[in-house]
Amino acid sequence: MGGSAPTLTAVPTWLRWTWAAPALFLGVFLVYPLAVLGVTVMSDSGTSVVSALLSTSIWQVTALAVTQALTSTALALLVGLPLANVVSRYRFRGRAVAQALVTVPFVLPTVVVALAFRSLLGSGVPQGFVLVVIAHAYVNLAVVARIVGAQWAQHSGDYESVARTLGATRWRAFVDVTLPSLRSAIVASAAVVFVFSFSSLGIVLLLGDPSTRTLESQILRQTSVLLDFPGAAATALVQLVLISCVLLLGAMASRRSPARRIRPVGLRPLPSGRVPRIAVLATAALGAVIVLAPVTALLVASVRSSDSWTLNWWASLGSVDAGTTRLGSPSAAIVTSLAYAAMTALVAAVVGGLAAVAVIVPGRGRIVALLAVVPLGVSAATLGLGTLLAFGRPPLDLRATGLLIPLAHALVAVPLVVAVVAPGLRSTDGRLMSVAATLGAHPSRAFLTAYGPVLRVVILGSAALAGAVSLGEFGAATFLGRASSPTVPIQIVRLLGRPGEQSLGVAAALAVILVVMTLVLVLVVDRLGTGRMRQPSVAATA
Amino acid sequence: MIPSRLAVHGLALGYEGRVFRRGIDLTIAPGEIVAILGPSGSGKSTLLSTIAGVVPALAGAIEVDGRDVTRAPIHERAVGLIFQEPLLFPHLDVAGNVAYGLRRHGMSRSQAHARAVELLDWLGLAGYGSRRVDELSGGQAQRVALARALAPRPAVLGLDEPFSALDSDLRQRLSVEVAAMLRKADVAAIHVTHDAQEAATIADRVVELSSLGLAP
Repeated sequence: MGGSAPTLTAVPTWLRWTWAAPALFLGVFLVYPLAVLGVTVMSDSGTSVVSALLSTSIWQVTALAVTQALTSTALALLVGLPLANVVSRYRFRGRAVAQALVTVPFVLPTVVVALAFRSLLGSGVPQGFVLVVIAHAYVNLAVVARIVGAQWAQHSGDYESVARTLGATRWRAFVDVTLPSLRSAIVASAAVVFVFSFSSLGIVLLLGDPSTRTLESQILRQTSVLLDFPGAAATALVQLVLISCVLLLGAMASRRSPARRIRPVGLRPLPSGRVPRIAVLATAALGAVIVLAPVTALLVASVRSSDSWTLNWWASLGSVDAGTTRLGSPSAAIVTSLAYAAMTALVAAVVGGLAAVAVIVPGRGRIVALLAVVPLGVSAATLGLGTLLAFGRPPLDLRATGLLIPLAHALVAVPLVVAVVAPGLRSTDGRLMSVAATLGAHPSRAFLTAYGPVLRVVILGSAALAGAVSLGEFGAATFLGRASSPTVPIQIVRLLGRPGEQSLGVAAALAVILVVMTLVLVLVVDRLGTGRMRQPSVAATA
Repeated sequence: MIPSRLAVHGLALGYEGRVFRRGIDLTIAPGEIVAILGPSGSGKSTLLSTIAGVVPALAGAIEVDGRDVTRAPIHERAVGLIFQEPLLFPHLDVAGNVAYGLRRHGMSRSQAHARAVELLDWLGLAGYGSRRVDELSGGQAQRVALARALAPRPAVLGLDEPFSALDSDLRQRLSVEVAAMLRKADVAAIHVTHDAQEAATIADRVVELSSLGLAP
């Protein structure tokens, strides 16, 4: 991050209170629902929670989920590391395209990814462990490629040359020198991939079998099928503790990593040898194929019936009879999703933006910013269940207002907004405020003079990001959605739950639309991405 | 005739499609220190990198102890390199850095460690073996880099302006020390620099890069 640390001395009074709004929001919509959930479960059946924790079934599911998440992480690293090396270090025609492509799976809604893999491998690979692991690795390629790639790009290769002159083979130098220097990035990305795969819901529901249950899908099953609320609370608790431990371990491992003097290194030319050169280009090409194959399969599924090409699935998007339960047409779901996305973008940008501003003001801001990241660790299902208990039943029933989903989505998006806005603000030289003040600007004007330009850009960018998150979110929407007005991901899952090629075709067409809407929003983020924005968006991806 | 440790015939240097020089001939005897003098960007570092195998030779041949190594991989050339920065491995301690090359040449962990400690003593760094590399001063770090490069007994050692990041007093002192140690180690050394005084201090023979071969 460039620029010097901000030195805010003459801060306008209102700025000292920016922490209050996000604190209130988090208090009402995060802490209160979780407290209600905790109190409800404990007062009704405190001993049942304890006995659920002591039962073997919860630990069997945990073991399954851990095995699945570890395998997914290993596969994501196996494919992601060579891609990180190629895309972040070498200069070749099409590198920018390859880099953009690698990011695509991460921004795709999980429900879309699941459907895409069903379309691609559905007939060859049976639903279950293998398909779930492949889909998780696919989504997380970007996490590995971007986090590890960012660190790898700093390598001049001199250390490896030193090792080679001391007698190390190419492989030995990689193991002895390159890998240790990438350790912190590898561990950090592995922790993120593990947490994602461990708490996955959409992919597990659509591609899994009983052996691939996650704690998240177990919570959903316990609350909606078994009506075992103490069991669900126990499962949520185990999940929260495990996720926190993994994220903590990841953070500790990256801190312990040895410091290395970093100097900016540009992209290097392709290797001079024929074989290494072909290996680099082949890796990039293979990466592009891996990313595009499922998306292409999805596109094909949306225009294909069992015996011919067809546009029927697209034509029936406006019809209530389009293979659904006749509760709204697919196009109505698109309208619902867009409305929720707009509300989410507004709420998340305001709340997250204020939290980020609070970070640079002396005072309580840092604590609020830290709290704003908490929703990342709380499962969407837990959050959805808590919100339902707190605001979805008398005396305060907000379900009919249609506000619950965008509020829950905003909670999920706020940490990303803070991750985008705060670095942008920190990179601004706070002395500009003093300069403006010495030129006669009152404190508020001085603040806007210094931070206004960057705020405008990062707030718009982060709002688009929040909208994209809302479009694809599935877990919380499952709990909070009304049957009559489903979001697009919910509608897709409903369609897939019904037999017949029409359901699959319409679901694929809806998924393609969701992909386009998400990519448009991500492109907006990228377009707004001046040099200042690009770094933060990497942080947000992380 | 004294056999040469390093013999370069008709070497052409270049990097990223740029050719710096062609037709370079150079021989260095055992224990001899040759300074190559030239301005920044003239291709001095590329000459060292090419001899070590980090950058491929565009044409010509490189022999080390009479063996043609032009196409040999870096780790089989017996050519050591010291860069402008020490580039000590940050995840290894001082002794671990020095022992690294010995381990790659088949020495057991304990033997390599003992030899590393000996070398450190010899270079005036007794007791530094277990230190972290980021606790060293610039001069100490460069001395450790020298110990690490000398440990596996390379036939040829390339020094790429290794003192350029140090202040002038230390640079002067270290140049004298390093020259003495290189002579003791009986290694053939090529020291590239743009500083004529440093070249004269350290080398038995000073060669202008512009006198080697032809410009492209």
